[in-house]
Amino acid sequence: MPGVAFVAHCLLNQNSKTDGGARCPGVYSPLVEELRARGWRIEQMPCPELAFTGLNRFWAVKEQLDTSAYRRHCRRLATAVAGAVEVHVRRGDDVVIVGIEGSPSMGVHITSSDPTRGGRPEWPDGSGELSPGAGIYMEELTAVLAERGIDAPRAMGISHQLPDHDAAAERERLAALIEG
Amino acid sequence: MDGDARGFRVALVAGELINPPDGGVDALAVLAQEDWGAIQLPAAEYPDDVAEPLLEQAAEQAEEFARHGYTLALVGHRDGLDEALRRYGLDTPPAIEPGSAEDLRAFLGALAG
Repeated sequence: MPGVAFVAHCLLNQNSKTDGGARCPGVYSPLVEELRARGWRIEQMPCPELAFTGLNRFWAVKEQLDTSAYRRHCRRLATAVAGAVEVHVRRGDDVVIVGIEGSPSMGVHITSSDPTRGGRPEWPDGSGELSPGAGIYMEELTAVLAERGIDAPRAMGISHQLPDHDAAAERERLAALIEG
Repeated sequence: MDGDARGFRVALVAGELINPPDGGVDALAVLAQEDWGAIQLPAAEYPDDVAEPLLEQAAEQAEEFARHGYTLALVGHRDGLDEALRRYGLDTPPAIEPGSAEDLRAFLGALAG
């Protein structure tokens, strides 16, 4: 049964990415094509980093963003999204979440972590900061949904910013997610 | 922005045009073809208490793009958007209620210059 996919903001708007992170001009079509082909509705979540630290933000790891103020900001955004999720869950729609693996905010299974990073930026080669776990926004969204008595929807992250990104494998994972 | 593929063009898009009915204008497909990004506006079916904070967040994000000189457009209509944009100091951007994909493509093309 087709359902509703709540997707990370940047998957419909790569302009929101940190400098150097946009993979295409605007819409990340592989995701849209896969959801459309299966009749799924698309709902875009806000980008928590865009509204908080702006377009000129640095790449950051989770520890750099994990402040009380940023948590409150993510909670505000997540509360608004949870309201929409709740509408669909109460209606009996199948709901999934699609985040961004490797993101300190939108990671689902992989976030970024380095407790020592800070101060004058140095740009490491590779992706040594990738770490198992969810990003801050995803943690807050899960918490808000739990407060409303809604189980966390099935979720995955788009992996296009990971060094081992495999577009075909990503499509297979997305198909498996939406087929339940 | 070396290695960065962004298009510097962002459209605020009515939810009904992101998820069109059969035969409706598929704004997302046209935006993808024309190298625009999308900020989705809440569909009219959502209750006000759900839609209002989502609309506020759309305006908040639009302001950040406007501040940095990105080209903005409005595709479709959303009650309350004009007021939400004004709270962030923004006028409503050039707008279209597209009757067809071709209409939308021409509109976006003209804005992109």
